[in-house]
Amino acid sequence: MKKLLLGPLGILIGLVVVLGLWVMSAYNGLVSLDQKALSQWAQVENAYQRRADLIPNLVETVKGAAAFEKETFTAVTEARSKVGQVQLGSNPASDPAAFAKFQQAQDGLSSALSRLMVVVEKYPDLKATQNFRDLQVQLEGTENRISVERMRFNEAAQAFNTKRLRFPTVIIANFLGARYQEKAYFKSQAGAETAPKVQF
Amino acid sequence: MGSRRSFLPALAGLLLLALAAGVQAQAGTGSATPIPAPPQRWLSDTAGLLSPATAAELDSRLEAYERSSGHQVVVYIGTTTGVIPIEDWAAKAFAAWRVGRKGLDDGLVLFIMAADKRVRIEVGYGLEGVVPDALAGRIINDEMVPRLQAGDSDGAVRAAVERLFAIVSGDEAAAGGAEEPGTKPSRPLTLFEKVLIGIGVLFFLILLITNPSLAIYLLFSILSGGRGGGGGGGFSGGGGRSGGGGASGSW
Repeated sequence: MKKLLLGPLGILIGLVVVLGLWVMSAYNGLVSLDQKALSQWAQVENAYQRRADLIPNLVETVKGAAAFEKETFTAVTEARSKVGQVQLGSNPASDPAAFAKFQQAQDGLSSALSRLMVVVEKYPDLKATQNFRDLQVQLEGTENRISVERMRFNEAAQAFNTKRLRFPTVIIANFLGARYQEKAYFKSQAGAETAPKVQF
Repeated sequence: MGSRRSFLPALAGLLLLALAAGVQAQAGTGSATPIPAPPQRWLSDTAGLLSPATAAELDSRLEAYERSSGHQVVVYIGTTTGVIPIEDWAAKAFAAWRVGRKGLDDGLVLFIMAADKRVRIEVGYGLEGVVPDALAGRIINDEMVPRLQAGDSDGAVRAAVERLFAIVSGDEAAAGGAEEPGTKPSRPLTLFEKVLIGIGVLFFLILLITNPSLAIYLLFSILSGGRGGGGGGGFSGGGGRSGGGGASGSW
């Protein structure tokens, strides 16, 4: 009699324990991938902040030599202040609306900056100064950092999304609310996908 | 006869056109050069850009520099990065080779692509303050590009390496040697870590009794893995990372 009762009960307890262990490991896996994506997001923000910090210096330097290009300067300054206005929640990568706004503002600044660099082409004297050359290298370096960190964020987001959307884990993830939503990806700027020309 | 004369240039023109189309197609859909395995030496010249004597001299100086200062400064000379820009390629190669010490991220790689005529200095996270982009850009534009244009590739690489040594070491001296090279900041273990280590030791002892050969194999692999960049004959990455800092140029 005792044996008969212990049988089904034991199996049930065993199943619950196994299920509990599985839920735990799936959840922990999600948490660590989420944290990785989050810290990579911080790196992305760092790189963008670095660019924003560079702008006042750049604008001042260019202004000295090219005072007539007022519109270009105001465009850059406005785009920069727009970037500062973007409100990011605690986990912007999982909030598609905030993510899109952030990317839109940063892309606006990118295109304002590239217009500024086109304007500079008209001023060879400015381009020849060491100060401007240093600034140009710094700007290139920041843009490069942005692209590297964005790429790494996309990789981290992909790792998270793959885990989150796969079959058994997706059941748990759906219980966890907004924080463990699918993460958004950085997309290349409109026009950036045109193939480079080959010159002979 | 006359018609044949005009036929030949036309044929040649057609061939050229086909060739151009082929090149274009290759540039459009062509592949990026895969990231090679981590280099075995501090300086690797796969393009034959440097004279063997200079390559050997610079390699031993780079090796000695790592032994004395702890910083891994590596020179890699290839031919081309393929369709992707040198910046992307360099960041990927740096990540794959793990140049610099883990945690300090104090590595630096000078990439030269001989066929592309492109140069890049990729700086580890930890050296970004010491070798800011502007300084890396000056090394490329002032020291390397003029020499490379003049065909003096030995001089270009030597000058760059010397400037980099001076900058990396000079800044350290100025900072008052805040961080002794080679020593890691150590702190006492927390209780949790002690418990973890205890569990690890226990597990190992159990394994030693049940499966001695596996246990000994594990012990050896852990010990040889932990040695990392130090011993041995060649270069091996210490686990450093970079984030696209540095500068690039072309000649």
